Amino acid sequence: MSPTDLVSFAVKEGRRGGADDVATVCMREEVKMIRFSNNRVTVTQAWLSSILSVMVAIRKRVAIGSVEDLSRGSVKQSLKDLIRIAESTGPNKDYAGLPRGPFKYRDSEPSLPSPEGSTLVDHVKVAVESAVSNGAERVAGALVFKRVDTEIETSAGASGSDASSYLEISVRAFCDGEASGQANSCARREEDFHPEEAGRAAAEIARRAVNPVEGKPGRYNVVLGPNVFANLLNDVMAAASAFNVEAGLSFMADKLGGKVASSSLTLIDDGTTPEGLNSRLFDDEGVPSGRTVVIDRGVLQSYLHNFSTAKKFRCSTTGNAGWIVPQPWNIIVEPGRVSEEVLLQDLGEGVYITNNWYTRFQDYRRGDFSTVCRDGLFRVEGGEIVQSLKGLRISGNLQRILRNIVELSDRRCWVKWWEVETPTLTPHVLVRDVTLTKAT
Amino acid sequence: MEDIAEYAVNYAGGLGSTYAEARVEKVVNNATTIKNGRPQFSGFLREMGIGVRLIIDGALGFASTNELSKGSVAEAVSSAASMAGAAADTLKKPVPLSDAKASRDRWVVRPKRRLGSFSVEDKLKTLFDVDKSLRSLRGVKFPARLLTLTETVTEKTFLNSEGTCVTSKVPRVSFTYMLTAYRPGKGTAQRFNKKGESCGWEILSSWDLTELVSEEARVLASVLVEGRKPPRGEIDAVLGSEVVGIVCHESCGHPFEADRILGREAAAAGESFMSVEMLGRRLGSDEVTVVDDPTIPSSYGYYLYDDEGVEASRRELIKNGVVNAFLHNRETAAELGVQSNGSARAISYSREPIVRMSNTYMDTGDYGFEELVESVSKGVYIKSFMEWNIDDRRFNQRYVGLEAYLIRKGELTQPLRNPILETTTPRLYMSVDAVGREISFSAATCGKGDPQQGVPVWTGGPDIRVRRIRLGGL
Repeated sequence: MSPTDLVSFAVKEGRRGGADDVATVCMREEVKMIRFSNNRVTVTQAWLSSILSVMVAIRKRVAIGSVEDLSRGSVKQSLKDLIRIAESTGPNKDYAGLPRGPFKYRDSEPSLPSPEGSTLVDHVKVAVESAVSNGAERVAGALVFKRVDTEIETSAGASGSDASSYLEISVRAFCDGEASGQANSCARREEDFHPEEAGRAAAEIARRAVNPVEGKPGRYNVVLGPNVFANLLNDVMAAASAFNVEAGLSFMADKLGGKVASSSLTLIDDGTTPEGLNSRLFDDEGVPSGRTVVIDRGVLQSYLHNFSTAKKFRCSTTGNAGWIVPQPWNIIVEPGRVSEEVLLQDLGEGVYITNNWYTRFQDYRRGDFSTVCRDGLFRVEGGEIVQSLKGLRISGNLQRILRNIVELSDRRCWVKWWEVETPTLTPHVLVRDVTLTKAT
Repeated sequence: MEDIAEYAVNYAGGLGSTYAEARVEKVVNNATTIKNGRPQFSGFLREMGIGVRLIIDGALGFASTNELSKGSVAEAVSSAASMAGAAADTLKKPVPLSDAKASRDRWVVRPKRRLGSFSVEDKLKTLFDVDKSLRSLRGVKFPARLLTLTETVTEKTFLNSEGTCVTSKVPRVSFTYMLTAYRPGKGTAQRFNKKGESCGWEILSSWDLTELVSEEARVLASVLVEGRKPPRGEIDAVLGSEVVGIVCHESCGHPFEADRILGREAAAAGESFMSVEMLGRRLGSDEVTVVDDPTIPSSYGYYLYDDEGVEASRRELIKNGVVNAFLHNRETAAELGVQSNGSARAISYSREPIVRMSNTYMDTGDYGFEELVESVSKGVYIKSFMEWNIDDRRFNQRYVGLEAYLIRKGELTQPLRNPILETTTPRLYMSVDAVGREISFSAATCGKGDPQQGVPVWTGGPDIRVRRIRLGGL
């Protein structure tokens, strides 16, 4: 069956089996990845998969299944099983049904053709050579091409299809043993994809990071590079999901309309931007994906909703379904007014953090967390980088960090890599009074 | 499953591969979740597909598909071959694999109460009973509760061009819970934890989930109501089994993964402070022996053959304080001139096998818990944790205690709020002066690889005592 026929068949089978509501999404993914390390390709990988996901609801009893065997018999049996499971489970009083379609969607953005392996390897060679020619001794990273074809149909009249694709590379360059730098390039259009620039930028950070000294713990004014801020904003946007608000996983619970960040920060979730790697025409309930201002000049304006969480919070869906957990599309930070150079000058004395990893929370409700600085980490004096540092972690509170934002740079870049799952467009950001700790 | 795996391997041979393997997997996962006392959903994931890995022109290629017709599988194999071939000229030398015995075997875990026999109604009743036990306690409420029961059956057929064919079937059961405790004026405290084993639903009788979560609630209430600021500076500490487990996993298991040491994971999961030259050198006190053992019956990280078809074995990573062995797959073993010790794991047919831990723990000593505590005149006992992290070379780490107590004159006294242990790997292992004789394990999902592969593991050990360790934080 074609994907269109498949989702239609699943909806009919669900309804015939007694479901009040049925929503189905069929995704066909083609992914190619080149992993590289020590300046050579480590492994090439290619995936082709088709998955059908189905939600059925019977008298508010919700069951969700996903199946990879897409034969008619398998899908039919899966629907039977789902209906049996739904009948067995208890009512979810938070469930409010499916939004009534049909909906009108935008046109799909043009997709990239599936590249040959040799084309992808050539991109890797360009990135590695660029890093090496800019002073890197060792280079590692991953290059990804991904294409997703999505088909949706619901029993409430939503129906649509979309296709999207992108290229992504992350490059980590090493100099002199311990010194390293990381940079990325990701784009939905080939002309916006710059592996050479990613290699150069990673090497430049690594070169500046040589001869690091142990950082001293303390409270510092810091500049967070785009990688760092994007990583933290992935957690901020997770905290904006209405499901997480109710599950105790959000420091933004009970703060709608309140000040949660500095007035410098406007934070948007956008499923519509043509540049967004994760943009899609519709969410999993068939609602056109939207653009939601979550934080407007420091004030919490909205959580991310599906149809059911919106009803519970007495608002409209933001087009972020997730049948159970609303999910962000692409995270956008409105730019500031100063250049990165001016931002460093405004920092004056402090620390510039280019990358981080391993963000973990002691208490999601309070926002207490720590994250480990990695790659280029620099002491700044008089607005200039004067020393490479190592061994520090940000140990703080996410609410406090958002409130202590002083200013943002005017230039933004897209970040998506291993530690930044939701694509994020962000500038550099200057934050005052951040606690940095170290092992003793 | 075996037929299509054999077809894939033969097809790869026809394309000129010098080595090929195929893994066909069928996974059925069923889960039921309630949030704040309300059912959220019940459902399933059903996966089935094939992953093929081959070496052609000296380069390593992997491809997978969940369309299991011969045509689709041939397409996947061709894709692996053409992409690997395109990368061959970047290599300085062909990708090597260590020798491995050709095995033909089948291993299974037989549940006493099979998965599927525990109905959705039964799961919901179990979760509701647990949820109802979370009543208000000492003025502390539990406004947010997220509880999930999961069962997974994984069937695999592994076959390679060297004559190995291993099939397996493993059921796994897990329970995860996220609790938020709140008391006005005291704020919140949270607990996330997981139970998990490779077994059937018979495990529920020994887990006693209601008692487990009720005890967690009592601890959270105690932390909120009575928890005081922890002492600072250099101090003795007793670390509970749960903390010892995460320490062994993060600062021994991961840095002893040979692919990190060789730089293969440098881009994302990182490298290691360890080097090949450190084999045989001292990293901890005589009391420290850290083991990784996939063969522990019913363990969450249980397997008898790894995902390269190599027989699993117990590995002593640190033996009496001395670096003893690394974790290897066939590629890293060949690079370092040794044999694989069966550490290759892949979380799905759609992922390449890479070097992973299984069940990592500190081996037992001779001390009872009271003996560990009684010689501490002033110190802390950190029994559990929430926040933790470690740098990507596995040297500088942090664990923030959840259930913790002040020790005075050999006795546990005041509950403490969030003591912070922020230290280095050698300092931590060198400071161990006594190890308990009772061992326990925690279930966890270990992340590594690109794309991420979360594999089920146990972390564990006995309680241990560490001397003159610095409690950190500003």
